[in-house]
Amino acid sequence: MINIDSYAYSNHLKKIHPGEKSLFAMITLAVCLTSPTVITPLIVLALMAGLIIFKAGIPGRVFLKLLLVPFSFLVLSVLTIAFSISTDPSGFWIAETINGLTIGIRYPDLNTAAQLFLRSLGAVSCLYFLALTTPMTEIITVLHKLRVPVIITELMLLIYRFIFVFMETAITIKRAQSSRLGYVSLKISYRSLSRLFSALLGKVFVKSQELYNAMAARCYTGEIKVLTKKYPVNLRNYLLIIGLELPLILINLLGRR
Amino acid sequence: MPEIILEAFNLDYSYPDGTKALRTINLKIEKGEKLTILGSNGAGKSTLFMQFNGLYRPNSGSIKYQGQAISYKNKPLIELRKKVGIVFQDPDSQLFSSSVYQDISFGPLNLGLSDQEVEARVDQALIDTETTDLEYKPTHLLSYGQKKRVSIAGVLAMEPEVIIFDEPTAGLDPRHAREFMQLLKNLSDEGKTIIISTHDVDLAYSWSDRLVIMSSGEIIAQGEPGELFLQPELIEQADLALPWLLEIYCGLVEKGWFPTSTPLPKTREELLLILPLASMNISPIPKDSK
Repeated sequence: MINIDSYAYSNHLKKIHPGEKSLFAMITLAVCLTSPTVITPLIVLALMAGLIIFKAGIPGRVFLKLLLVPFSFLVLSVLTIAFSISTDPSGFWIAETINGLTIGIRYPDLNTAAQLFLRSLGAVSCLYFLALTTPMTEIITVLHKLRVPVIITELMLLIYRFIFVFMETAITIKRAQSSRLGYVSLKISYRSLSRLFSALLGKVFVKSQELYNAMAARCYTGEIKVLTKKYPVNLRNYLLIIGLELPLILINLLGRR
Repeated sequence: MPEIILEAFNLDYSYPDGTKALRTINLKIEKGEKLTILGSNGAGKSTLFMQFNGLYRPNSGSIKYQGQAISYKNKPLIELRKKVGIVFQDPDSQLFSSSVYQDISFGPLNLGLSDQEVEARVDQALIDTETTDLEYKPTHLLSYGQKKRVSIAGVLAMEPEVIIFDEPTAGLDPRHAREFMQLLKNLSDEGKTIIISTHDVDLAYSWSDRLVIMSSGEIIAQGEPGELFLQPELIEQADLALPWLLEIYCGLVEKGWFPTSTPLPKTREELLLILPLASMNISPIPKDSK
């Protein structure tokens, strides 16, 4: 997760307008999810992999690893769809009958499973594209412009910032504990970990008070107003998005018949 | 008579748990002056700063801005905070956004300025604190010193009349500490009133017009840096040390290198200037020792 975050700030597509990237990722996601065939998800997967690896300059290894995260979960759920158990042995494509119970795969189920699998993987790759190329702060700004309630965007802003503050604090405490043999045995580890959590909880209150004071000192009145660095709007990118999405939508429509 | 911009009058403050943090503080701050508050940890420096822009409310006594006791109602409080800015000691508790640009724009936007004006101010603050190259980096990937500079930029962009820095050079490397002092000088030349707190006696001695020494919530002395540092019992009481410039100066006076009437050197250059050349004096090394 932390890796994704640092790539978001250092990839080759970081200077592209976050709105354009979000639009592209979301349309492609919708097209991929509504696809009736496996062709669109495959194209989407290839397209996103190409963009992430060659355009954004993120190592292929990293992208593959990220795809493996939902992979095991996907395989498990797809298997349950593909396999069925029945007392009626007819209609199976591959099957084994034991004591009158038939366990096997029906052809239409296999089709559904494969489609679902690829569709999910394609959709995940769209989200990875957005997450790997667009910093969280920019995504929050886009959400704010889309009139997502202020309470949500402000919370996102603060939570995102404080994930890192607390992680740093937790790492420091953990390091201090380890250097004094705080994790030498299981029993001691439990005790150290519980102390780490209670110390962290205490810090949460202190930090939030300090943050409030610091914000009040800068005339905070209850609404967090910030400016974001402006990105140039690129007409070519919009044309590119249309040029890529139209054929995909066409493929979807043709597949429907 | 110089104009008094900020004043603490008979200020008393205890923390909610009953700890007395400030006892009968009386302090007048002149417009445009460079004031340093010296004191050991827990002397009450940061607490006093929080009083100066209304974050804490005194139990008794008052804070006056341009002669007017400040009101703790919302509107006047915001007016006060537009004029008195604080840079906090820990940048992690000041930076609320992960984006450097967003964080710096927060203060000026709260002043109700136009977007163009805010952009211009943010860009200027980035230049003044040498953080322009950090603009696209998230705050959590910055070093401590970089975060510190960004948090300074966040207050500079609001262009307050009085700027309070809580331990500004703690955690900065020598180069950036030096550049920060240059920034302070520029702000001072623009006519800003600057208050800093520090443990760095050398900095306090060379930079300030006036020095305030605090100990256990009280002001135990205030005056010219040269005067205060030459009172050993005072330095002892406040757990401080002598600036190296004064230590050398006193040693040289004692050994007769120059008369006691010589003015105190404020900087290294001044000391080197008044130091007589060895050939013009009797050399302290006996010549017949060869």
